[in-house]
Amino acid sequence: MPGAPTPGDGEEASREVYLDYAAATPMDPGAVRAMEPFLSHEFYNPSAPYAPARRAHAALEDARASLARVMGARPASITLTAGATEANNLAFACVDGEVVTDAAEHESVLAVAQSRGGRIVGVGPDGLVDPDEVARAVTPQTELVSVEAANGEVGAIQPVRRVAAVVAEERGRRLRAGESRPILLHVDASQAAGYVSVAVSSLGADLVTLSAAKVYGPKQVGLLWSSDRVRLRPLVLGGGQEGGVRSGTENVAGAVAFAHALELAERMRPQEVRRLAALRVDLEGRVRREFPWCVVSGPRQGRLRLPGLLHVSFPRLDARRLVILLERRGVYVGTGSACAASRMRSSHVLAAMGVPDVVAQGSLRITLGRQTGAEDVAYASRQITACVRGEMARLSLTDDDMRQAAGGDA
Amino acid sequence: MGERVFVGLSGGVDSALAAALLVERGYDVTAVYMRNWSRDLPGFKCAWADDLADAERVAVTLGIDLEVWDCEREYKETVVDYLVDAYAHGLTPNPDVMCNQTVKFGTFAERAFARGADYVATGHYARVRHGSNGHPAQLLRSCDPHKDQTYFLWRVPANVLDRTLFPIGDYPSKAQVRQACAERGLGVERKPDSDGICFVGEVGIRTFLLDTLERRPGDVVEWETGRVLGHHDGAFLFTVGQRRGLDLGGGPARYVVRTDVGENVVYVTADRSCPALWTGSLVLDDCRWVAGEAPGACEPVVRMRHTGALVPALLEPARDGRSATVRFSQPVRTVAPGQSVVAYDGEVCLGGGIVSPRSYESVRPPFEAAAQG
Repeated sequence: MPGAPTPGDGEEASREVYLDYAAATPMDPGAVRAMEPFLSHEFYNPSAPYAPARRAHAALEDARASLARVMGARPASITLTAGATEANNLAFACVDGEVVTDAAEHESVLAVAQSRGGRIVGVGPDGLVDPDEVARAVTPQTELVSVEAANGEVGAIQPVRRVAAVVAEERGRRLRAGESRPILLHVDASQAAGYVSVAVSSLGADLVTLSAAKVYGPKQVGLLWSSDRVRLRPLVLGGGQEGGVRSGTENVAGAVAFAHALELAERMRPQEVRRLAALRVDLEGRVRREFPWCVVSGPRQGRLRLPGLLHVSFPRLDARRLVILLERRGVYVGTGSACAASRMRSSHVLAAMGVPDVVAQGSLRITLGRQTGAEDVAYASRQITACVRGEMARLSLTDDDMRQAAGGDA
Repeated sequence: MGERVFVGLSGGVDSALAAALLVERGYDVTAVYMRNWSRDLPGFKCAWADDLADAERVAVTLGIDLEVWDCEREYKETVVDYLVDAYAHGLTPNPDVMCNQTVKFGTFAERAFARGADYVATGHYARVRHGSNGHPAQLLRSCDPHKDQTYFLWRVPANVLDRTLFPIGDYPSKAQVRQACAERGLGVERKPDSDGICFVGEVGIRTFLLDTLERRPGDVVEWETGRVLGHHDGAFLFTVGQRRGLDLGGGPARYVVRTDVGENVVYVTADRSCPALWTGSLVLDDCRWVAGEAPGACEPVVRMRHTGALVPALLEPARDGRSATVRFSQPVRTVAPGQSVVAYDGEVCLGGGIVSPRSYESVRPPFEAAAQG
């Protein structure tokens, strides 16, 4: 029984450690500098005919060319959007027929797929999509298959190329059978960019979504790449910008910053992947040594998961409380996909993986990023230890109780 | 370990302080967030998640458990359906009264007691005097006369009140409640007062009703003359005394005198002193008395709207206690059928009833009499 209420537990935060990079990334200072002129003196409408406006137009097209270069694509195949959610919606809008996706997708894909009565395949206990499952779900009526490049909640890097092979096989079958219905593959690579190649040839997709907000660029900026066999259909009508597919005066500043950010993320990718993977292993090791019964979700093999993402569950504890307790110690972490967190429901991804509620409710999604250093990880792990121990004491739970709840031993 | 209390924590200021005070007084406190209504449709962000996050923050600060209880079914059946049904019948209900009776001091209290609670508590502005020596518990108005919420609590029976705590009922003002929250670092002291029906939220009652009930165009008729002044989307959308939303295309301000959902007519007047806007008595149905039994004929003060004036009256409950008549020495503004009338003996809430349409049966539009005679 606590006495008079004390804010937090008296522990002053001696450090601020942000570990929710999958939710938002701070903008790269170079990207901020790159966009600044277009917010002030280079403000012109790129559709206008006079010289300063033509400069803005040129900057926009340069940005598009840079984005295309990173993706190994033609600039004309890139449609700039207000973020990844819009790009995902735009991808689905280009077909009328059946759609197939998986249960671990971002809500912007799931919500559209569900509204279209799409078939939704399950995922394995590690969060991975099984391409054979996708093959079984595809019918002669299927027009779009959508699989993310990497899952933002448990970090599973999906076997996109093998899904692409499934789609290619069905396409071949239709060709041989003389069926004219097209089938396309859409890949939401928002969470993967910066960690996995987003070259369209390596993904084998017909449509690819990227988000600036996840690669240290601005929010509400994204893109949809589409192959030559795709005819996009606009969701937003108006002045016919972006080849008529996405009307509205172009966000020149956003596009310029996006291009800068994506180029940088791609350049830093090899060393960032190594650096973050090492930090993540360190963090997981620290947490596991303290709490051997904790449940770490996602693929076991490092190459199958995002390098900087640790999804860890403390059974019987309440993640929402842990987040508040950690916040008071200056550590900011997520509880899963933001959408699920705001609904206070157990996450649809964990549910699809078959994680029991008692485990899922105590899940933290910890994502490291560019500003995270070894000391941050050490500090965060100490605070996690203190908060988890504190909650266990408050609830009179022993390590044995936790082991049992985790289903760790019989 | 102190006695066990389950406190309803809404994420707002009042219940946050209530919980804090209980902890300080040494009770063994469990907080409960009652999830009453959520339009959890795909593609809709639900507002209640923010309130739950605030409640969670308070619970963590106080070091108490917060549980989320799903009361959605009870709320839907006894509050939302009641509200819609009442409007459909031309009444103007108080959903908060029903919510307190059936959800907060119904389902929530029952479940809390079943879980071993000695008491339930809420952040209502009210006080309770627990029963002793065979006397039932009493409900008293809060110390802050501007915030008193007993108008919404009159249907809560004494046996539940006997195991209820209202920790903030003796705070003298809302400002002091906010101040006390701030001193305790609860982090909610700047939240605005919540108002209105929670589930209707920002869309407003008109939109909500038109979403639920069939639109039914009809005439807006002048009470005195029978002249058709305009049209409406359904008489059930209007309430006595209402001035806004009549859409009569200019002219003087007009007030709703009467709605007739059977004939689908809304009667209005431009005359604020129109006799039909005043009444000397009211008939109450569906009465509840805190003590269980109806009082004998007596002269309490009554309240006809939340924080409305306390008006002296003569109260005559029927023999079975289920209905009552209230007479006033001076005519009062008419009260819409469906609204609560709550009676007090000094500070003690006796109970009340719901204004019956029968209250106004004998008052017919003047033009009818003229036509007949």
